[in-house]
Formats: sequence, structure tokens, C-alpha cells
Amino acid sequence: MDYPHVFSPGRIGSLMVKNRIKYAATETNFNTQDGFVTEREVAFLEAQARGGAAIVTTQGAYPDLLGEGKGFRGTMSIADDRFIPGLAKLADAIKRNGALAALQILHCGREGGVDLGYCLMPSVVPQRLSYFKPPREMTPAQIERAVREHADAARRAVAAGFDMIELSGIVGYLISTFISRYTNKRQDAYGGETIGQRCRLMGEILGAVKAEIGDKIPVGIRLCGAEILDDRGGNTLEESIESFRIAEEAGADYVSVTVGWHESSVSVITRDVPMGHWLWVAERVKKVVTVPVMMAFRLFLPEIPEKAIADGVIDFWEACRPMIADPELPRKASEGRVGEIIPCIACNLCFSRLYYHQPIMCSVRPSLGHEAEEAWGYRGFAPAKQRKRICVIGGGPAGLQCAAVSARKGHEVILWEKGETLGGSVLFASQVDKGEDELLRPIRYLEGECRRAGVGITLGKECTPEIVREYHPDAVVIATGARFKTLPAAIDCLNPAQIIGEGKRPGKRALIIGGDGVGVALAVYLLGRGEYALTLIEESGRLGRDVSPFYLWRFLKLFRERGVTLLTRAVPVGPEGKVWTISSPKGEKRVEVDHVIVATRETPEDVREALAGSAPAVYVVGDARRPRRLHNAVQDGYRMGMEL
Amino acid sequence: MIPLIDEDICTGCERCREVCPPQAIETAKKKVRIEAEFCEECGFCAAECPEGAIHIPFPKGST
Repeated sequence: MDYPHVFSPGRIGSLMVKNRIKYAATETNFNTQDGFVTEREVAFLEAQARGGAAIVTTQGAYPDLLGEGKGFRGTMSIADDRFIPGLAKLADAIKRNGALAALQILHCGREGGVDLGYCLMPSVVPQRLSYFKPPREMTPAQIERAVREHADAARRAVAAGFDMIELSGIVGYLISTFISRYTNKRQDAYGGETIGQRCRLMGEILGAVKAEIGDKIPVGIRLCGAEILDDRGGNTLEESIESFRIAEEAGADYVSVTVGWHESSVSVITRDVPMGHWLWVAERVKKVVTVPVMMAFRLFLPEIPEKAIADGVIDFWEACRPMIADPELPRKASEGRVGEIIPCIACNLCFSRLYYHQPIMCSVRPSLGHEAEEAWGYRGFAPAKQRKRICVIGGGPAGLQCAAVSARKGHEVILWEKGETLGGSVLFASQVDKGEDELLRPIRYLEGECRRAGVGITLGKECTPEIVREYHPDAVVIATGARFKTLPAAIDCLNPAQIIGEGKRPGKRALIIGGDGVGVALAVYLLGRGEYALTLIEESGRLGRDVSPFYLWRFLKLFRERGVTLLTRAVPVGPEGKVWTISSPKGEKRVEVDHVIVATRETPEDVREALAGSAPAVYVVGDARRPRRLHNAVQDGYRMGMEL
Repeated sequence: MIPLIDEDICTGCERCREVCPPQAIETAKKKVRIEAEFCEECGFCAAECPEGAIHIPFPKGST
């Protein structure tokens, strides 16, 4: 056993727990807008339980009928007995597969009222993020009602068959807004200068829940261990740590330590934050409580929680995003198959989709949300009716994913990559910034998946139409990626592949044409390697439209700090010597540059034309089909594989 | 679900086109069209539309 501490039994309250892995709660937007659990949600959590986690936590169900506590459109409700049958299906699916079922109760507070025109808070503190609703101050009667609603919700959870209850008081949700000095300015019994006074609502909710359901069912709570709201007058670290001690005193059977609010202006869960970075916060909490301590937050590789548990820093490993990416993570880790785990890359595609009222998706696991649909192959693909011979051209994410799925279905698959290394444009992306080498993890996973499925991989050889014809394939899949556009031959220009891939360097004054993810990434790459005076121009009205908002804000901040000239709705008119004229709604701008870099992409039409007719069927996937992002390439490849 | 566009409300301002990550929105003659093949159902267009002309249906009903 590689991870003896992770896979040792534990205890929470009166419950024996088979190992130290808890699938942590997240919203999915899989459920109906009126709060009912769907089969899609059941299948997703069933997969989590089958994967071998000891505890599977549901998403946070909102406890009030008005929906003031509801933060996402497709969140499930626990505000009435009519929701119990759906919740019981979830509990049953989890328990039938050998895990303990934990139901999270979540009133979103400052982030609630998604279908309403307002949200509830202890005091009116204006929203910093425009997405959220205007706040209203809670009346004492509303506070009393909220406490009652949490207790009623816990009763329903027990009736539905859940083994454990979890309360959530993090990131701006109701309980956290009372605890935080930043959002609680109340003068009554629910506010005050001391952390004990501001923890009163939490204590009352814990007390009411425990009184309602008794001692047999453990009740845990997630709290913020470090708000990172110093710039807004949030709690001190000592106050936050003290809130955990108060929670234990109020009856919490375990605590989960989280970091940051959604409005914190520091990276918390992105790739620039090293794995294991936040364990020190849990360590502080561990010193003041005796109940089990859990943590999620960038503990992606099992050796990190293994060491943390061995060192007595945490007792349980909460995995959320890593288990969205691969619910089988616990089983694979326990069987020594770590290389087979589909690796989360912290892209936060799942998270960001929630805010646009869309079901979560995963960049690296296209089967997310389709676990019960046979065609998606979550539990393995049915063998293809007819075994085909398939040529995949290009060893980037689209090609690798397509080859892996096709081979898993029993086809004979051969893949060519003209470069010496697999990865396609991920090889460039992985060098852009600190932590981006994590992007290579899914490439290594897919390469392994191809080899395990018997794909023949040829490196360092360009696949010509002649080679394809010799092979007599039934189908050809073009996954060669996009190519960079060029300027008229008279103009000397560079592109990101030459700069990142071949190490060419532009002069200090550079004009980057194209401000989607590629142009933005190139600017970040250059600024990390020297003093550049950059002008970045984008034809549309939005810079970095295809960059995750979780990453874009940091890049834009960097551009501001480094004086990058950003122009949108801008097109280059042309150069006169070293001076380029840029036309934008702000008028014409002239900038003197040493180099121009073309970061806009186009599909390789000549490749498509050359390969036309080389096999009975020719398909195009990934950036070669249309230049887009990593998750599109992976989705394209996967769906192509499903069809073949 | 792929967004639905209310052509009576749409003013053709093209802001949806500018935020669409996979560039799946085409505009011609002040009318907007979404290429279903490339739409990744991210919802950016609906969030951006100043007129509220883009609507993403969300499932309702009990289980």
C-alpha cells in the first residue's frame, strides 16, 4: 500500500470511516431549477461512491423555500418534505456503493438569492463582485427563521437516509458573513467586536441541528481558516482559527478548513498556488481542536495528504476538483495505479460554468455529467461492432484523446506525431507561467492511456498522405492543431511557436497581434523573462475572451503593472519602417516596435485538402477544426472516438 | 442547453459575438446566429447581452 495513512480507517463522532478520503461538496447545476434532484446528479455521486472514497458529500442543499439561500440555479433544495424522495435516491446511491453519505446544508447568504433580486446578510455591505445580488440586512425574525430552517433541513436529511450532516460557512455564505468582521456590523446579539459574538449564529445553528437529530448522526462544519480579506477589514487569522474552536465547543463533530473568500484578491486554488500550499492553515486549526480536521484546496496528489496525515496536520483528505476529474482517484491510488488517475489541472472550468447557470464540465474528463450514459463509456466502452483501422495525425490533446477512446473500443489505432514529444500546443502553454507545467499531467495521462489501450505511437515523423494510403485505414482523424497566421512576406514577424518552442526572442519593443488566450499567454511569457514594452491588440471588444476568469484577472493585473498597452477592437493598418499604425475606436495610434508577433491562428486547410480521399472517412478534431481551448480539443477527441 | 435568441429584442450590437470563447456566434444583417456545432454552452453570451435577448432554458420539474 503506497499511502498507508490515507487508507487507514478513521472515526468521526460515532461512525467508523473506512479511509481518510472524503469527496468534498460542490454544486453542479445538474438539478432542476425548482430544487429537485435529477438522475444526472444521482449518477455523478454514485460514481464518487464507487470510486472508493470513504465519505461522499452532496452539494450544499439550500434550506429555505424562498430561495434566499440558493446560490446557483440548479442547486437542490432541502426546504420541504417534498424534496426528501429525491435526496433519498442520492443517499441510497452513495451508501449502496460502500461510502458514508454526508448531506451538506448551505445557505449562500451574500451569494444567495440567485433567482431573486436580493440576498441576505447580517449587515448591508455592498457587493464587490457585480454578479451577486444587492444585500438586505437580516431582521432578528429572519435570523430565528434561518436557524429553524437549518434544523428542519437536518431532520429531512436524516429522513432521507444520510449518515452525516455538514454545514457550510465559507467564502461569503451566510454563516461566514456573520463570523467575519468585514460583513457583520450588527449592534445586536449577533454581532460585536469579539469573534465569540460574531460566531453566535453558527453556534445556534449547530445547537439547533444537534438538538433536532441527536448524537448518533455526526454534524461537521466547513469554516474559513484564513479569509484573506485584510484589504477589506476581514477577520484576523487568530479570529478565524478561534472560530473552529468555538465550533467544536458548539458541538461540531469534525471541521473542514478552507481558505479565502470569493472576493479575496489573492490566488487560492489556481495553478500558481503550489500544491499543499495552504496546509499551514489546517495545522493552526489542528492545534486548537480535538475533533477531526479536514482540508481540500490544492491537495491534488495523494502523497501530499499522505504526508499531512502522517505529520498530524490533517485527519482527512477532502478531494473535490481532483475527484470531479476522476471519481476513481481513491481506488487507483490504493491499487498503485496513480499514473492512471485523470489529473485535475485546476483550470476551474467546472467552477466558472456555475456562475453562468450551466452544468459543470471538466477539461480533462468529458464524461462528467454522463456517468450513467453508456455511450460515454464512464464504466468502459462497449466494443465497436466492427473493428476499424484508424490513423490519427497529431499527438496533442485532441489526437491523444481520440486515439485513446478509439482503441478502448477495440479499434486498431496508430498515431503520428511529427515532433519528438507528445503534447501539441500544451507544450507551449505549459511554459507560460509559474505552475503551468501541471498542464503536462493530462498529456502524460493520455499517453499512458493510449499505450495501455494498444495505440501504436510514432514520434518524430510527419505523416504524409502517401503514408496514410499505404496503411489503408478505414478512417483518418486530422488533429494537427492550428497554425499561426502570417503577414505579407515583406514583413518580418515572429509567432508564439517560434518564441516559446524555438527560443527566439523579439526585440524589447514588440507588437502582439491577437489578444485571445494565445496572445495573452505570450505576453505573460515574455514579461516573465525580461523587460519588454508590449502592445497587445485584439480585433474583438474583449481581451482574453477564452481565458478562464480565475486566471485572467491576474494576467490583466500584471499587464497594468508592467505598462502593457492594450487595445481592443483594434486592427493593424501597417508598418512604415519600425512604426506601426493601429486603428481602433480611439483613433489611429502609432507605435514604434522592434518586432511584430502574430498570435492569431487559422485552420490548416492545406492539410485537410491533401488528406481528402486518403481514406473512406476523413475527420478533423481540435484546433485543426477550429482554434479553441484545451477542453474543446479534449472534448472533440473524445466525441470523435465515441463516434468511430 | 444552447442559448435561444429573441430576435425581436436583439439589437445586433454584437457584444455576444465578442465574448463567445469558441467564436460560435455569427452576426449578419443585425441578426445573431449560434453555430450549434461549436457552441459549448458556456452562457457567456446570455450574461453579456445588454438587452436580455439571450435566454438559456433551465430544466424544471420534479424527480
